[in-house]
Amino acid sequence: MTDATASQDGLRQRAQGMIERAIQRNIKGLEFITAPKPPVGLTPKDVIYERGTLRLYHYHAQSDEVYRVPVLLVMATTNKAFVFDLAPGQSMVEFLLQKGFDVFVIDWEAPTPEERGLTLEDYTQDFIPNCVLKVQQESGELDVSVIGYCMGGALSLIYAATHTDAPLKNLVCLTTPVDWHKMGLNNVWQDQRYFDVDRLVDTLGIIPADFVAQGFEMQRPAQKLAGQVRVWEQMWNDEYVKSYRVFDRWGNETLPLAGEYMRQTTKELIWGNKLFTSELVVGGKPVKLASITVPLLTVVAEHDHLVPYECSKPLLEMVGSTDKEEILLKGGHVSLIAGPNAVRRMWPRLDAWLAERSI
Amino acid sequence: MSKESPPDPAANFREMVTKWERGFDSLANQVMGTEGYSRSMNQMQDLQLGMQSMFKEFMTQNLTNANMPTRDDLVRLAESVGDLDRRMARIETLLEAMVPSNAAVGSGPRKGPPRTKKPPSAKAKSSTSKGGKK
Repeated sequence: MTDATASQDGLRQRAQGMIERAIQRNIKGLEFITAPKPPVGLTPKDVIYERGTLRLYHYHAQSDEVYRVPVLLVMATTNKAFVFDLAPGQSMVEFLLQKGFDVFVIDWEAPTPEERGLTLEDYTQDFIPNCVLKVQQESGELDVSVIGYCMGGALSLIYAATHTDAPLKNLVCLTTPVDWHKMGLNNVWQDQRYFDVDRLVDTLGIIPADFVAQGFEMQRPAQKLAGQVRVWEQMWNDEYVKSYRVFDRWGNETLPLAGEYMRQTTKELIWGNKLFTSELVVGGKPVKLASITVPLLTVVAEHDHLVPYECSKPLLEMVGSTDKEEILLKGGHVSLIAGPNAVRRMWPRLDAWLAERSI
Repeated sequence: MSKESPPDPAANFREMVTKWERGFDSLANQVMGTEGYSRSMNQMQDLQLGMQSMFKEFMTQNLTNANMPTRDDLVRLAESVGDLDRRMARIETLLEAMVPSNAAVGSGPRKGPPRTKKPPSAKAKSSTSKGGKK
């Protein structure tokens, strides 16, 4: 076969492939537009505790024996916890269950108007300690490992620092902000001179989900449109579309925030940077990260635009733990915990670290 | 036979989208990362909040005149129920801590598979030591 003939064959095949994909794009594009929301959070579970905005799930075991220490995942207050359980094969919860962990998850519902007064005290001195107690009761074990994601990590840190006698066996912080003055654009937009948080909270009571989502989207304004263009181009690829739809659903289901919690977070953490300076007081208790002595793992993403590496970096130095480790992985804020990147990179590292400390 | 495959227009398109996204985000971040932008954005927000506040006052006044409960009245009512709920939860927690059934905490698994799983390193050690005894 001559070079010219081979080249012509290649071109013909390419053209044929493009035509087939164009046809598929049209057929599947219609399905894409009319399809209902993709199902998420399908791993079997029980709701073992619920109070107001709080939900505590216990997932059904998927192995013949489990590690002695149960694991409690704490979700960020701005989003739904189904990011831990997007779809079969794309679920961190399912992965942990299959690796032999007993998994519990703290999820949040949208706070109602009467919950506008929730504060850091409620989350760290009431909700998390109560959930830890429920995990102890459900598992029959004294020790509990806590894994916090993003703001869930910050809440877990505050809980751990103010409950030095807590039954905490291990603490894992995933992309957790500590030095809030390194938050990039957020610091500019919430500049104390221009951002009137008191007026915002006093007027609205509950900070709407749109306001919260806008804060995320404005950091990468082209991301959504580029994502839509990419999914159109990949419409023939069922796996890609399925993955896009579950992530898109998660992104669209941002939660509103309790006003007082927003006020306190803005004043104490963003403006005062008090978690970093050790001046934070929650529920009358000083929050000093140095008082955390349990084994600690902090996992950070190299290209995280919401919680940049510099923002999480001081954690390792600040905690009093002797058994501590930082893992810096490629990826962004969400791809660190979900999606193909997480399956390959983060989940196996988390399993390896936690398994050794869960007996 | 030539090993070079013909150019893939789809790959070029994907690359173009990625470049556009990065360029646009970078430019937007430069613009939105300025003090001026922050000031304007927050001024706009204050304006919206002011209008919302005025509208709320107007509606509250009308509802009061019509002898109807306002949103704040309903929220206050819900808050009272929420307070009761929180008190109940505190009492429940205290009772659970006092009642002997709580002794079950730390006394082993209550349900589900046995909590005997060992990490791979422990299994490897145990198989090595077994091998050594032979």
